[in-house]
Amino acid sequence: MAGKSGRSINNVPEAPLKKMILSWEGILVVLLVLVNIFCAFYSEFYNLSSLLRQMPIYLAEVFLLLPMAYILVLGEIDISVGSIVCLTATMSCIVCNTGAPFIVVILTALAVGAVCGAVNGFILTRFTELPPMIVTLATQIIFRGIAEVVLGSGGSISATNTEGLILLTGKVGQVPYILFLLVVLAVIFAVVLGKSTFGRRVYAIGTNRLTAHYSGVHVQKIRFIIYTVMGVCSGICGLFLLSSSFGANTTTGKGFEMDAIAMAVFGGISSTGGKGNLAGGIISAFIIVCLRVGLGQRNVHAQVILLILGVLLICAVALPNIIGQARRAVKR
Amino acid sequence: MSDYILELKGITKIFPGVKALNNVQFQLKPGEVHALMGENGAGKSTFIKVITGVHKAEEGEMFLEGKKVDFKGPRDAQAAGIAAVYQHPTSYPHLTVAENIFMGHEIVKRGMLQWKTMNEEANKLLQQLNADFDSTAEMGTLSVAQQQMVEIAKALSTNAKIIILDEPTAALTKRESEELYRIVDKLKEEGVSIIFISHRFEDMYRLASRVTVFRDSQYIGTYDVNGITNADLIKAMVGREITELFPKPEVKIGKEMLRVENFSRTGYFRNVSFEVHAGEIVGLTGLVGAGRTEVVEAVCGITKPDSGKVYLEGQEIHIHTPSEAMDKGIILLPEDRQKEGLIMSWGLGRNVTLPTISKYAKSGFDNEKKERELSKELLEEVDTKAVDIFQPASSLSGGNQQKVVVAKALSQEMKVVIMDEPTKGVDVGAKAEIYAIMGDLAQKGYAIILISSEMPEILGMADRIIVMCNGRKTGELSREEATQEGILELAMEKGKNAGKEAR
Repeated sequence: MAGKSGRSINNVPEAPLKKMILSWEGILVVLLVLVNIFCAFYSEFYNLSSLLRQMPIYLAEVFLLLPMAYILVLGEIDISVGSIVCLTATMSCIVCNTGAPFIVVILTALAVGAVCGAVNGFILTRFTELPPMIVTLATQIIFRGIAEVVLGSGGSISATNTEGLILLTGKVGQVPYILFLLVVLAVIFAVVLGKSTFGRRVYAIGTNRLTAHYSGVHVQKIRFIIYTVMGVCSGICGLFLLSSSFGANTTTGKGFEMDAIAMAVFGGISSTGGKGNLAGGIISAFIIVCLRVGLGQRNVHAQVILLILGVLLICAVALPNIIGQARRAVKR
Repeated sequence: MSDYILELKGITKIFPGVKALNNVQFQLKPGEVHALMGENGAGKSTFIKVITGVHKAEEGEMFLEGKKVDFKGPRDAQAAGIAAVYQHPTSYPHLTVAENIFMGHEIVKRGMLQWKTMNEEANKLLQQLNADFDSTAEMGTLSVAQQQMVEIAKALSTNAKIIILDEPTAALTKRESEELYRIVDKLKEEGVSIIFISHRFEDMYRLASRVTVFRDSQYIGTYDVNGITNADLIKAMVGREITELFPKPEVKIGKEMLRVENFSRTGYFRNVSFEVHAGEIVGLTGLVGAGRTEVVEAVCGITKPDSGKVYLEGQEIHIHTPSEAMDKGIILLPEDRQKEGLIMSWGLGRNVTLPTISKYAKSGFDNEKKERELSKELLEEVDTKAVDIFQPASSLSGGNQQKVVVAKALSQEMKVVIMDEPTKGVDVGAKAEIYAIMGDLAQKGYAIILISSEMPEILGMADRIIVMCNGRKTGELSREEATQEGILELAMEKGKNAGKEAR
């Protein structure tokens, strides 16, 4: 059947540079620079060292963004992560207070997170027809419920053995450990999603699950892995929250799932699945972190910051739509 | 001038970069059935959309009963008595038949919907069409044929004088098509003019009195159906002569490759056994819903059979997932290209390499350079009409999409190739090419299972024909003894008794 027509099909890709400049990530980089310039003018205290000093409390939830991006690319959603953060912080604080070696505390956080994530993954892959939004809404209530039962009537727990926790807030020079770990994990997550066969399959599932299944992709296995990793990352987040506040309470991690989703969507990852990449999500996370630090330095109320983020998010989602409409209007 | 109920002159429609219609013309006589034929991409659908006001032509004029009309949108066309029924009914599956029929032009009295009246009206229309269901039935529970009937009823409810049927028989079985022919005849008697788009010559000969052919966005000609031969018509459509539609090569049949024994899945099929040999094309046919697709999907690990054994080259194998089937060389080309075969928004190259990315990957990371080379090679091997490997699969015509599905299969190490309705919705020219590929594969020694509802295709390509009905194998015929009538008999008659046992 060797090409009767002898037709040749081009397989040389477009120059990557041109593609990048026009992409959403390109716009986000510009926005990140603008936000930093704005913050520097707005707050006299805003500079690199103050940024590095005040950043860690906002960085913890960025760990949630990394696996959340995978879940959104799958075309799904996990709104239970805030509760997993609360449960892991609570449980590891209890273990910490028993005087156990710090490595045990870390393992507790990761293990509790992994189990919670695996529960989500198990339910969703065992009963494939269930909508992830509803399943994780249920587990959101259950996980936080367990944390509340454990926390008892006081509703909070304080770390009495803070030796190990202080370790986590350490720095190399001016750079906090948490930023190091975050950057390392971010690179790994971004490369796996963008360049590995695993990542390609995630996009395949998110774009057309049926075709992926027919093409031999282990759809349910991949979904299970991702939900479990989501739990593990929630454990990391919970651990850092514990180390920065020396305790946990019933509101720990509340609303984090929405922050993570917002960062991802702002970063160009479509909530309908199959589109976007982690680079965009990570840049948008840093835009939000810088904005929070800068505005926080002038004592702008946290609610006002949220309001600004909300407006930004709507703009980000609506922009491609507006551009598309404008283009069509011009053509006519 | 008013010889024609509808006349279009010099229609040109330009989409960014392409002329979808180039100075085409068309005349419809009152009360005639006029077939519109041409390959995929010839501009038929665009033309229909110009008539129904969905698209606005850049140039050209349209006359309705001699009067010049200018539709601003689909509503104008509807008001003027033009209605279109599409291949895949675009209905609301959770609503009732009556609700679907009156969607958009409900009967209202003092601001209240008059369901009783609408149900009665709907029933009247359905009776007119000899429908065997009620206006209160839920749309989603009906078969495709019945849903089309509802669409036709909907067209009638708007008092349409011109009804356009866009590939109505593509998703229908033979018997259902007969039913549709009857309805079209009836509409004709009532003075409705009909434009009929189809790839099936059978439809045209049975229904139409005249046929207009488009090719490459241009008008080729209008012919009397009685005055044109099959070959001339194909030549008009394709622009060249197709010497042999079914290039079935003489292949020496080799050893047994795949054997399925007593395959059963409750509610779908029961005690199905068959075998395929190297170099052999086995046709698996029957009416839609006979369980053909279900059987092969169970063989390929997409669903689980309740019982039964599968042997590959004499060895019993156990397949639980599609990837296990692929590893063993059993490759399925699924029935629904757009939902199961391809990721439509992805580039062709990525589609081709999806099942095999791990093979080229270096420690888990994509080797994109190798993927690009391989996909180019395979897409050229099946002669895909594409510009580059990055264009989305959705930009290709049905026939070329099917070729991409074939290329995707070729990227794997195949032993048994299962093609489920490989030419559904594919035009004549591309059909011949797909048959040629199929013949080549057989010649290379692959065992091929061809599932098809199209009788000529089965008779033309298969060495051996297995007929199923209601989830049971009702017969097996050799190429020599198979006839259209023989197959139909097996596909329908025995089913009446056997059906109840299988379900």
